[in-house]
Amino acid sequence: MGTVSQDELYMHATAEFGPALARLARAYEADPHSRLDLLQDIHFALWRSFSSYAGQCSLRTWVYRVAHNVGISGRVRRRRRGLTSLEELAEIPASDSPEDAVHTAHALATLHGLIRRLKSPDDQVMLLYLEDMDAAAIGEITGLSARAVATRIHRIKQLLSRHFRQGEAS
Amino acid sequence: MTDLKTIWQNQPMEDNEMINLSEIRARAESFKTRVRWRNLALYAYSIANIAITAWLISTGQHKPYMRYAAPGLLIVVAHLFVIWQLWWRASVRAMPADLMGRAALDYLRHQLERQRDALSSAWLWYIAPFMPGLIWEFWLRANLHPASVPTWADHALVLYLVMSALFFWTTVGFAFFWGAARLDVRLERLNTLKVE
Repeated sequence: MGTVSQDELYMHATAEFGPALARLARAYEADPHSRLDLLQDIHFALWRSFSSYAGQCSLRTWVYRVAHNVGISGRVRRRRRGLTSLEELAEIPASDSPEDAVHTAHALATLHGLIRRLKSPDDQVMLLYLEDMDAAAIGEITGLSARAVATRIHRIKQLLSRHFRQGEAS
Repeated sequence: MTDLKTIWQNQPMEDNEMINLSEIRARAESFKTRVRWRNLALYAYSIANIAITAWLISTGQHKPYMRYAAPGLLIVVAHLFVIWQLWWRASVRAMPADLMGRAALDYLRHQLERQRDALSSAWLWYIAPFMPGLIWEFWLRANLHPASVPTWADHALVLYLVMSALFFWTTVGFAFFWGAARLDVRLERLNTLKVE
C-alpha cells in the first residue's frame, strides 16, 4: 500500500471517526495537555497502521482497535494502580446529588470519571457501549467473547443506572 | 440509556482536537528523530567504553595488574553485546504497524509476552555476557598480589569486590525474575478474560 493510499485511508478514517477518537482521548485523559498528546499519539499510530491495512477487518473496527490499543498502552505506562473492575466500582456509592447528574455537563463528567476508574477491558467495553456499538462489534475490537461482552454490558447498565436517576437519564 | 449515549456522542469538540496530516507528518519526523538520538546515545556509550579501555591498555594504567587488560576487554565486549541486544530488541523487533490493528486483548498479550520473554531471558543476554570477564578478573586479582600492597589488605579488597559483584548481580537477576513473574500473573489474568 503506497503513501497516497495510506494518507487517503487516514483522511477518510479521521473524517468519519475523528470525533469518536477525540471522545476516547477525553475519556482516558483529564488533563488537556496529556489529552492532546494522547490524541496525537492515536492519530500517528492510526496513520502508521494504515501502511499495513489490507481490509483484514472493517475500517471502523481497525480504527477503534488502534485507538484503544494506543489508549491502553498510555494508560498502562502512566497509571498502574488505582483502577477498579466493574464489580468493585458497583460497590462505590453513587453521587450525593443524583439530580445534578441529568445535567449534560455533569453527566459527561460522571461518565469520564467512571471510565477513568475502570480497569481494562471494562473501560473499553463501556466506551464502545457509549459509542452505540453492539456486542459483536465490541467483541471484535476488544477480543472478548460475545458472552463476556454481554455480561459486561449488563453490569455497565446497572452501574449507569445507579449513578444516574433511572427515570430521568435512561 | 439512550440519552446517555446521545449526550456522550454529542460532546462539543474543541478546535485542537482536529488533527491534520501535516501534524501527523511532523510527529512522524519527531518519532524518527527520537529513534536517531537514542541510537546515537548507544553508539556514543559504546565508543566511550572502547576508548577508555584502549587508553587504559595503551598507557599502562593497569600496572601493576597489566594482565587485567584481557578481562577488561571481555567486559567491553559484554557491554557491546548488551548494547546490541537493547538496540535489537528496541529497533529490529519494534512493533510492526499491523500489530496496532489487532484486537485489544491480543495486542496486550503480545506486548506482555514480549516484555516477559525479555525479562525471563535477561540472565542470558544481560548478566551472563559479563561473567567471563568478571570471573577472570577476580581470579587474577586473587592470585596476583602487588608487592606494594600488604597481603591481608589485598585479600580484603578482593573479598569486598567479589561480595559487591555478587550482591549487585544477584539483585539485578532477582529484579528481572520478579518482573517476569509479575507479567506472568497479568498474562494469566488475560487468559482468564479470553476464555470467559
